[in-house]
Amino acid sequence: MADLGAMALLLGMALSIYAAVGAIVGEKIGMAELAVSARRALYMTALTVLAASGALVNAFVNNDFSIKYVADHSNTLMDRAFVWVAFYAGNEGSLLYILLVLSIISAISIRFAPRRLARSLPWTIAILSVIQLFYFGVLIFVASPFELLDIVPLDGRGINPLLTHPGMFSHPPLLMGGLIGITIPFAFVSGALIAGTYGDDWIDVARVSGIIAWGVLGAGLLLGAWWAYTILGWGGYWSWDPIENVALMPWLVMTAFIHSIMVQKRRGMFRMWNVALLNIAFVLAQLGMFINRGGPVVSVHSFAASTLGIIFLIFMLSSLVFAFALFLWRMPKLKSDRAMDSFMSREASCLINNFLFLAVMAVTLWGVLFPVFSDMARDISVSVSAPYFNRVNGPVLLIIVILMGVGPLLPWRKASARSLKQWFVWPTVVGVVTIVALVAIGVQRPVAIFSFGVIAFVASAIGEEWWRGTAARHRSGDNWFTAWWRLVNGNRPRHGGYIVHISILILGLGIIGTNFYQQRMDEALYVGESLVLDNYRIEYIDRGSSERPDRIAQWAEMSVYRIDPADYAQEFETARARGSSGFKLEDSSARPNDELIDQIEPWHGFYVDFNMASVRSGIRSTIVEDLYVIPRDFLTDGRVSIAVSINPLAWWLWTSGPFFLIGTMIALWPQASVERRPVRKKVPDESEGDG
Amino acid sequence: MPIILGTILALAAIVVIAYPFFGRKRYRLVSESYLTRESHRAERLRIYRKISDVESDFASGDLTDADYQQQRDQLRVAAAETLREETGITTASERDEQLEMEISRLRDQTSISPEGGDTL
Repeated sequence: MADLGAMALLLGMALSIYAAVGAIVGEKIGMAELAVSARRALYMTALTVLAASGALVNAFVNNDFSIKYVADHSNTLMDRAFVWVAFYAGNEGSLLYILLVLSIISAISIRFAPRRLARSLPWTIAILSVIQLFYFGVLIFVASPFELLDIVPLDGRGINPLLTHPGMFSHPPLLMGGLIGITIPFAFVSGALIAGTYGDDWIDVARVSGIIAWGVLGAGLLLGAWWAYTILGWGGYWSWDPIENVALMPWLVMTAFIHSIMVQKRRGMFRMWNVALLNIAFVLAQLGMFINRGGPVVSVHSFAASTLGIIFLIFMLSSLVFAFALFLWRMPKLKSDRAMDSFMSREASCLINNFLFLAVMAVTLWGVLFPVFSDMARDISVSVSAPYFNRVNGPVLLIIVILMGVGPLLPWRKASARSLKQWFVWPTVVGVVTIVALVAIGVQRPVAIFSFGVIAFVASAIGEEWWRGTAARHRSGDNWFTAWWRLVNGNRPRHGGYIVHISILILGLGIIGTNFYQQRMDEALYVGESLVLDNYRIEYIDRGSSERPDRIAQWAEMSVYRIDPADYAQEFETARARGSSGFKLEDSSARPNDELIDQIEPWHGFYVDFNMASVRSGIRSTIVEDLYVIPRDFLTDGRVSIAVSINPLAWWLWTSGPFFLIGTMIALWPQASVERRPVRKKVPDESEGDG
Repeated sequence: MPIILGTILALAAIVVIAYPFFGRKRYRLVSESYLTRESHRAERLRIYRKISDVESDFASGDLTDADYQQQRDQLRVAAAETLREETGITTASERDEQLEMEISRLRDQTSISPEGGDTL
């Protein structure tokens, strides 16, 4: 199958060259057959990549260890379900996966592109083909997934243990798919600029493809956080790791884009700004590819480390030069013909929101690149860690959340003082009442309390919007649900956006809870001992172990009790005097009010071939809080060293995901056509080529 | 076997991309006039969507009566203008009839009354 894969890649490269050249030459010399043929070559490219991918999957399924990539990333013990994960577990396979996604979405987007883009489509095809050509070149000449071994091993090395997690079936493909997905709106807009079509014809394609890429990337980021929370064993879900950051940055810029594209749609403004945002997002996506594939920044995601960095650096710099040279060339023609009427308007709030998103992106970019500059300039290795990002980005993100409430309440063009008063009263009252209530019940931490108030403000602003619209429709005869649904259905981009906003608020609850109110304790326990933290007693019941050819696994069986802190008043007092929020109990005999609520099994595996440990945290999750137990080490004296934390509101982090997806899908769902096609006189030269 | 599959793939690709040159179907590049009309049509549909948004905003109380009237009138004039450029229909009544029909179809979808909210 290696031969088929290699042949398919070579064929795909030839087709890409043909598509790029044929599309432009066909258009320039007016040869419709060549233009159509070039477009078909782009479709066929997807088929060749599909064939190459099929060949690699087949090699994994049949344990064809004559292929180096298969031998490096699987073995006979590997669960067959992980073939899909093994496919993109290494550099070569992940590049093939990226090319597969790119070729398929390129073919789909070109096939269904509106006819009115016909003038710019050859350039779009050329741009997409050149980008595909780059990946073909890398896969054929530098990092082939079909490289053969001289001596065929009896068994492979196996899959990276960190990847044997359900989240890995979707997190990497979504992340890579989202990053490469930004290529589509970029190619359409760049094609339009080269062709000299300056209007808003590309706006719908760019918006839809941009939102898809953004949604996919966002889902990938959230799944990555879940994966980190359950398997990496450091007790968190987001560490501002460089690889996380390089995926976050294009997402932030695309978030700015999907807001400002609405202004372009509604008010005909921000055209130049939107082109710039797409350029930035595309270049940042290339930066992500560069850093992910052997770039200079150290990351926990070492499984993709390679020497491909320089190639991706050159490609990223070429993308940067191309995108901004094109932008500067066409900039004078991109200016909007409308000015902003007032800063108290929805378009102004979108612009401010855009600046803030770019500010967070810039801060994050600086944090990612600073170690590189420091290393180059002063020969000193430094790393920028979470406190920098939290301190600088935290307040800006909070302002963005406030704007999520303010923006939708502002009308387009300008707001009057009367309308401001009318619309802001209730959300402000709800926000303030929330803050007062939290203070009154003794909740600590002013920043967190203020943040909860902001969330309440934004939620009530969305609620007010829905209430007003729904009530208006209800008065005309619809029942409440139908009225609300018709409101949402009448402007899906807007109301889908509100649902996404709700998902961000839910995510915000989780972030505030886990960041401000987490309780944590590290302890080593013998069998029979307990650790008491807040309302929980965790008793170490027994230890289990198993030895398999690829790993040595150990786990702790633990019982979780809900306790009445009054039963342990003396111990808590002593612990607090020591500055700790919990304590160890050598005598685990249950107190009167102890109630067994769960059994957990934190798990720890060591993979000899990889010299790598993998952890499965023991988690008891409720909507109020997570009890989270990380097995640090199984000591030779029989103790287990554990880190226990109580993560308030962590459940809400993952609950935000479905809301995010539903909101995105509603925003994307197309409206039915309202048009009666006008009757036209037949024009002789009107027949078009196919596709 | 892989070599045969690869060869079949290559032959299939050649047939698919060569077909436009040798097949019976004749192709012509999309004409400028067609593109211009399509562009106008897209612009007209965008204006309809804006009209729908304005009516929805008004129905929800986001727009004052004066702002609503002004924005709606501006958009209807713009839609009529693009329709004239797109179809060549010069009669105002014919244009108005088509606009009214398409806008009312949009209202049906969004459940906004023809008066744009006066009755809601």
